[in-house]
Amino acid sequence: VIELYAIAAHPGPPLPEPLHEVRAGELAAICAPAEEREITPEALWHHEQIVEALMEDRDLLPVRFGTRLDDDAAAARSLAERHAELERALERVRGAVELAVRAVLAEPGEDAAPEGDSGADYLRVKRRASAAHEAVAAAVHAPLAALARAHAERPPRPPEVLRAAYLVDRGAVGTFARHVARLDERHPELRLLCTGPWPPYSFADR
Amino acid sequence: MSADKILHGGSDLDPFAGELPRLSDALSRRINTDPEGLERGLAQLVLTIIELLRQLMERQALRRIDGGSLSEEQVERLGRTFMELDKRMEQLREEFGLTEEDLNLDLGPLGRLL
Repeated sequence: VIELYAIAAHPGPPLPEPLHEVRAGELAAICAPAEEREITPEALWHHEQIVEALMEDRDLLPVRFGTRLDDDAAAARSLAERHAELERALERVRGAVELAVRAVLAEPGEDAAPEGDSGADYLRVKRRASAAHEAVAAAVHAPLAALARAHAERPPRPPEVLRAAYLVDRGAVGTFARHVARLDERHPELRLLCTGPWPPYSFADR
Repeated sequence: MSADKILHGGSDLDPFAGELPRLSDALSRRINTDPEGLERGLAQLVLTIIELLRQLMERQALRRIDGGSLSEEQVERLGRTFMELDKRMEQLREEFGLTEEDLNLDLGPLGRLL
């Protein structure tokens, strides 16, 4: 049984032990013999570190943690079956990394249900809150999306008002981060967090 | 997450730290077959679906108000209904010891339900 870590172009830079390549055409699945293991945060982190190390010297599509196949032949078959699709996906992320941005309200508050028993007031407060959140999220998201090659928004989880991933050229990561810092200054009502560079998890399969 | 992955975040990351317990929760989640755990799990699932419907209906109601197709009386009645539903959900959540975040499902590649 083998465990998959990433899909990359073939040929690529040499791989550290115990990783090896399974080839299909111009693509390679980067695998290692699977080990018996408990699913723990450490195991997940270990997987992530391997993918991140690979990402440093090659473009890749990260494979979801826990993806296992019977053997190299099975990996080669599944690569071959999806060859065109994977090649397109790899082309999309070539030379880019994923950055994640989250925004929370600096002072979460008046979102809760209003006091009193007027139904109309209740809805008015709800609407005002949701409109305000959307406006503020858009004010941050739009300029960042303009700096990115692609973007993917996820439903924010309160008190977040924005949760998004951006596909950014490797050379533009610094510019992007500085832009986040400027937006943070410009929007005292928000707190922004920008993390990365991550393997392009959000852009591997669309 | 190691600090070198933070490209921008200021000095205080507490507002963002809510994620951390979620991860270990998700990893340690197992099917729990003791009767109490089972009941709570079922309540969690049912309440999640009700909460999803409640949010969808609330959004729909807000859109209809924006569209101006509702009379004042209808708006008032709708608002009261949602307010009651909101309170009732809170009571039920408390009864089963569930937080707002518990009423959310991770749908894998589709993201979170709510």
